[in-house]
Amino acid sequence: MSRRSGLFFVAPALLLFGVFVLYPMASALSYAFFSWQGTTRGAFVGLENFVALFTQEPFTTQLPRAFGHNIAFFLGTMLIQNTLGLGIAVLLHKRARTRRMLQTLYAMPYLVSPIVIGYLWTLLLSPTFGPVNALLRKVGLESLALPWLGDPKTALWVVVLVSAWQWVGFPVLLYGAALGGVPEELSEAARVDGATHWQTFRSIVFPLLVPAIGTVSILTFIFSMEAFALPYAFGGSTGNPAGATDFISLLFYRTAFENGSTNAIGSSSAIAALLFVVIFGGAVVATRVLRRHQDRVAA
Amino acid sequence: MNSNNRRHLTVLTLASAMVALAACSPSSSSSSSGGSGDSKNVTLSVWSWRTEDVAAYNAIFAVYTKAHPGTKVDFKAFKNTEYNLILTTGLAGSKGPDVAQVRSYGQLQPTIASKSLLPLDDVVDLSSWDANVVKSAKGKDDGKLYAVPLAQQTLQMFYNKDIFAKFALTPPTTWAEFMAVNTKLKAQGVTPMAVGAKDSWTLPMLHQVLAAPRFGAGAFEEAVTTGKTTFADPNWVASVDVVNKLKPYLPDSAVGVAYTDAQILFTSGKAAMFPGGSFELGFFQKQNPGLKMGVFEVPAPQGSPSMRPTTTGYADGAFGVSAKSDAQAASKDLVKWMSTKEFGQLVADKVKQLSAVPGVSYSDPLMKQMADNYAKNPTPYLLLVDFRYGTPSGTDLLGTGVQEMLLGKKDAAKISTDLQTGVSQWFKPTT
Amino acid sequence: MTITASTHTATGDREPSEPMKGRVKGRGPRPVGGLVGSTALWIYAIVALIPLLLMVANSFRSTSSLYSDPLGAPWPIKFDSYRKAWTEGHFGEYFTNSLLVTVGAVTLSTTVSTMAAYALARTRSRIFTTLEAVFISGLMLPIHLAILPIFYLLDGFGLVDSRLGLTLVYAASGVPFSIFVLTTFFRQLPPELEEAARIDGANSWQMFVRIMVPMVRPAVATVVVFRFVPIWNDFLFPLVLLRSREKYTVPVGLTTFFGEYATDWSSLFAGLVIATVPLIILFLVATKQIVAGLTAGMSK
Repeated sequence: MSRRSGLFFVAPALLLFGVFVLYPMASALSYAFFSWQGTTRGAFVGLENFVALFTQEPFTTQLPRAFGHNIAFFLGTMLIQNTLGLGIAVLLHKRARTRRMLQTLYAMPYLVSPIVIGYLWTLLLSPTFGPVNALLRKVGLESLALPWLGDPKTALWVVVLVSAWQWVGFPVLLYGAALGGVPEELSEAARVDGATHWQTFRSIVFPLLVPAIGTVSILTFIFSMEAFALPYAFGGSTGNPAGATDFISLLFYRTAFENGSTNAIGSSSAIAALLFVVIFGGAVVATRVLRRHQDRVAA
Repeated sequence: MNSNNRRHLTVLTLASAMVALAACSPSSSSSSSGGSGDSKNVTLSVWSWRTEDVAAYNAIFAVYTKAHPGTKVDFKAFKNTEYNLILTTGLAGSKGPDVAQVRSYGQLQPTIASKSLLPLDDVVDLSSWDANVVKSAKGKDDGKLYAVPLAQQTLQMFYNKDIFAKFALTPPTTWAEFMAVNTKLKAQGVTPMAVGAKDSWTLPMLHQVLAAPRFGAGAFEEAVTTGKTTFADPNWVASVDVVNKLKPYLPDSAVGVAYTDAQILFTSGKAAMFPGGSFELGFFQKQNPGLKMGVFEVPAPQGSPSMRPTTTGYADGAFGVSAKSDAQAASKDLVKWMSTKEFGQLVADKVKQLSAVPGVSYSDPLMKQMADNYAKNPTPYLLLVDFRYGTPSGTDLLGTGVQEMLLGKKDAAKISTDLQTGVSQWFKPTT
Repeated sequence: MTITASTHTATGDREPSEPMKGRVKGRGPRPVGGLVGSTALWIYAIVALIPLLLMVANSFRSTSSLYSDPLGAPWPIKFDSYRKAWTEGHFGEYFTNSLLVTVGAVTLSTTVSTMAAYALARTRSRIFTTLEAVFISGLMLPIHLAILPIFYLLDGFGLVDSRLGLTLVYAASGVPFSIFVLTTFFRQLPPELEEAARIDGANSWQMFVRIMVPMVRPAVATVVVFRFVPIWNDFLFPLVLLRSREKYTVPVGLTTFFGEYATDWSSLFAGLVIATVPLIILFLVATKQIVAGLTAGMSK
């Protein structure tokens, strides 16, 4: 296509995106370099707000802790949600008849708003009035009737599991599509040679899925670092209990709107800038690694 | 080629039209906030976080409109947890409120620093009011008054009269009696105290209700704010430990119990006592009209510097005028009315809160008792009143700390030092 | 026979309505895991739905019975909480607003993104490579961190408390993902398609509308589905950018509702159901078309 036509086609998206996303994001990041008096901007302070994140309370305890939770959330989601999703996608691959019905059922939780999910599960898991613990007690599993959302040891994992429950449809769909792209002849040939399903999967299908796995992983990483709605619905803006479900975006929200410091916008913007650097850096590195692998496979 | 160009032009025009449309999108009150209409007829926009009290406030403002025909009030309430965010944007941009309910003490300072509120020193006279209450609406740096305090909250122990009667218990007057009440209730299978420790903001309140005399109440406030002592003081540590010692009488796995669960435990009769604020009264009465409630002050624990029981109090919420309001005169009149006894009485009667205005009479016997208790044995809610002027705030630190203590991860001494370390980041004692 | 049959299964549409179904079933290899696999799939499906079913069941009970007997059955069915949630909860208004905003945003976003993706896939130029990188980097921008600047921006346009403003913000936020997916698809299409059309005298726009867009229908469908749900369920932006209750979308209405009915569990559940069910119905109706096109296109 000629460059002139190309520009016409690209212009609307560029305009929309530039005005309503790029410009505000750039502003938000620039706020971090100033000191603030409430919503009035003060003097340029360079990297002072960033330095404060690493030298002052509460950031010195809360920032690494929240970051650790984001990473734990990422790993947990990879382990549970994406592995389960891959397994389901493989099982569904040949079951043409029931595939669409099952895919729809698995995707149902995805349709529910995170606030609804947070509320629903908080009500269901309530140690005093919730049906989950009531059921466990009734079947004699009293010892398992823990205060799921009240114990720091379990609270984060509840968030991971509920998030996996909500989003499992996403890897199922993507892996399902990728599996559809694996040439049938290869697995047929392997089976003719006597290989089991598992062997076929391991040596033939899985290597061809690596690009899809890469894409899913990168998207999961971005999603985990940005996670806000679900943790907020469960633990509120302070990541109850005792900060066990605190995430970086919650720390941002809290710092920006809920504390008594007049430089709230300065500190919170520094957190936002930091988060952006981490997400951007991580995704770029991962994409580069992925592309190198793809080139190698294609060669 | 011609049709090609035309197509491209159409696309571009559409795109620019969208943006142009957006830019000159009609807003009936283009740069004003709330107040609209000519000088004789004004509609004031009032914002609040009390979604529970919308009907009551509408009735209250109807009284004002009758006395001031031409001024209408549009009362809007937003959910408490997101109110700060909404208010910040509301006061900074257009279409915000004329009069807004604002937070108190430390949490008011960012709003003041943004220059979003008008000083009210020449509008209202609060010289006859409780000094601690007026302090809640002043700027820490310039000492000016920026809002009219709305309510006074007191913290005490609610109890279920029927359950007490059933087990032949009476409100305790000594610590030994208080412990006996707890032990008896627990032995009978009733949760003695309903506490929702999952919501950490309830925990510093719990600490005040159970142990304010143990750390020395008002005398301690004086000492710690002037730097004569810190939170590592043994009296303070012992007071925090009191909460730990009472852990068996809280619901099982209290840190997993939400605040709303605790409320339900009390109103449904599964728990006998509820350490809470006067703001609970209206809610409890609505939840269970048949509930027979009483309140008492928890006696001073052993070893307290003074054996007098206390009722903790603090100012909660205030109404200020937005600097961006284009109905400033009318707004100032409204907040001036909010400092009168008439308004205070309406708040007491309709919203069922203790009013910050002095001299209000309470028809509800429990409200009267709470107000009287506070008048007799007042003590400030220390961490909220004096230690929210910076980050991390004292209430956040103690709230999280008590959660960790209840989980058995830290002891009272450790969380007290954590509290001290945290606030010393920004706290400067006044001499 | 093996080879031709394989090519069929690799590229063919294996939907139940196909007359070849009987042949595929009898002839192809057994599905992975066999009966055990099928059972596992169905068990998970049921387990995944239980919380949602519980939500519906509990909405039919009275609040006091929910407290005293968490595991009780919803019998006799009570509709009071629905009546309360609908009338006092104003969910009818919220639903209409959500529909307007979400459909508007998804339409706008998909349209501009499809156009842009076509250009990005088909134009060889350094500018365009950079532009593509700019768009894709948008995927890594957590947009809710920019809530204050967005507020000021819309305020400058006079778009606070306007559903149009909200729609524009949502549409813009959907552009990176949409371009990401669509560019990939456009790249997979053979360039010969356009060459043939150009020889016939068609211009870029005609080629785009008549040939390219129909070919990427499954990708467009994917993009629509994946943008619709998050926009519908977002609660932070409407909270800040909308002021009048009659303009609220469903999620914001929900939070207000929760604030007022925090302990009235039965009405809470009813509210949750009302907020969720319409979207489920919409989804079921829409995906019949969408998923069919999706799997058909994907397996090409």
